Amino acid sequence: MIDLALWGPVLCGGALAGASTGVLGTYIVGMRIPFLGVCVAHAALAGAVLGSLCGLTGPGLMLPALAGATAMALVVGLLDPERIHVDSNIVLGLLFSLTMGLAFLGLGLFDVYGVSKNDVLDLLWGSVLACRWRDCAIMAGSTALELLFLACFYKEMRAILFSRLHAAAAGVRVTLVWTGFLILTSVVVTVNFQTVGGLMIYSLLTNPAAAAFLLVRGYGRTLLLSGVLGAVSGVGGFLICKATDLPAGAMIVILSSLLVALAAVLGRWRRRVGERTV
Amino acid sequence: MSSLAVDIAGLECRAGGRRTLSIEQLQIGGGEVFGILGPNGAGKSTLLKCCLGFVRPRRGRVDVLGQPVAELRAAALCRLRRRLGYVPQVLTARGEMPLSVREVVATGRTGIAGLFRRLNRQDWQIVDHWIERLGLGPLRNSSYGELSGGEQRKTLIATAMVQEPQILLLDEPTANLDLYWREEIVGLLEQLYEEHGLTILLVCHELEVIPRGCHRLLVLDRGRPIASGRPEDVLTEERIEGLYGRGLRIVRSRGRHAVVPGGRHER
Repeated sequence: MIDLALWGPVLCGGALAGASTGVLGTYIVGMRIPFLGVCVAHAALAGAVLGSLCGLTGPGLMLPALAGATAMALVVGLLDPERIHVDSNIVLGLLFSLTMGLAFLGLGLFDVYGVSKNDVLDLLWGSVLACRWRDCAIMAGSTALELLFLACFYKEMRAILFSRLHAAAAGVRVTLVWTGFLILTSVVVTVNFQTVGGLMIYSLLTNPAAAAFLLVRGYGRTLLLSGVLGAVSGVGGFLICKATDLPAGAMIVILSSLLVALAAVLGRWRRRVGERTV
Repeated sequence: MSSLAVDIAGLECRAGGRRTLSIEQLQIGGGEVFGILGPNGAGKSTLLKCCLGFVRPRRGRVDVLGQPVAELRAAALCRLRRRLGYVPQVLTARGEMPLSVREVVATGRTGIAGLFRRLNRQDWQIVDHWIERLGLGPLRNSSYGELSGGEQRKTLIATAMVQEPQILLLDEPTANLDLYWREEIVGLLEQLYEEHGLTILLVCHELEVIPRGCHRLLVLDRGRPIASGRPEDVLTEERIEGLYGRGLRIVRSRGRHAVVPGGRHER
């Protein structure tokens, strides 16, 4: 029997984290920029490290983390790959290594200044079982913001998902909408990474969307299924953790990876059946 | 349409310290089919990108539909682009692309519909009309990533046409296509011009792609115009040999042109 007072917020947090990152993942996987998630997550970590060195603790670390993630999102948004003649993934790789270097430099300074780094390490690995209703409310807020953004820019994001160049040529305000998406990504990643951790959020940004791409066709259906599979990964990971006493974060990652494998098998089977029918 | 569609003066573009395009004067009238021919690296695509505001010229002026492209602010440039249909050279051909053909074609209506508005019934009717018109009806719900190169190219032309553009800019629309699809696309361009009379700027490096209705041709080489005028006047064997090498002959038939190898090939 599950103790809902303890596990209720944990399961709710897992569902919200999985669903919100899964939906974002549709664009991240579709545009082949999986580095974006880790890049923003590490910028948030670097911000949190700086905040911690400045004396901030606990939830107070969210502000510098959000500032770091947003700054990174804006840098990514302002760098136009067409103009600088460098592929988006190369740019993200460079920025990722820079933010990781800054974060680990900061972690090294904790020992020098004799500051506790427990809060920051919680952010890096996540503290899934410590999720409470207050955290869920913040996560629900960021999920609502994400839904509002998608309601406003549903068709623009569809055009950008197809091709930024095409969207710009069709007169879509690509810079405005894309920058908004990057800021949204920074908010969702920062809010969720205290639950699933900066490292594990990467799997939730890629795996549910990758599985959905293998199973369905169509923009709306892919978005919906990515969100559902993300929520399944989040909730399922916690339930496996509860049943087996294994680490929850690792279970979320492994479950979401298994969903991709299952989707690949199902997709292949469906294609074979389709070929036979034809 | 009779006023100028494109008016260029003193244009110079550079990239990586190299001059990529230099055109002193070029005017393209409304309702004209204008071909831009030249070997690889001649500056053909750069010229189209200047018209769209994707490339900022080092100096000079590019007016499209009476508007100075380089001086427009972001919102005004977006409004201008909504009046231009663009088919780029490189296809977005990601196999995992979750969008259907209908959804891809609908991206062409996105800018016109404006922010904070969903595509309405009329937008979708226009999308469906162009899907049918280009013979993509049976593929409307197919995944774009699973289409052949020719079908993808047709989808992109439909995407440009749903904008109901005043100018259609095509950058090598038959690149990497086999003979069947090349003729399909050329025939389609001829039909579109006959039916809609829109201005067409067609970039190509094969003579065979120039449609029958082409009014004027500009030949570029290393960023500079080396000839312009009616295709039958511009396309001489001396000029083609100068561009692509010796031993090439031009064959003309019913308003179309083709190059056939006729001997030793050296440039």
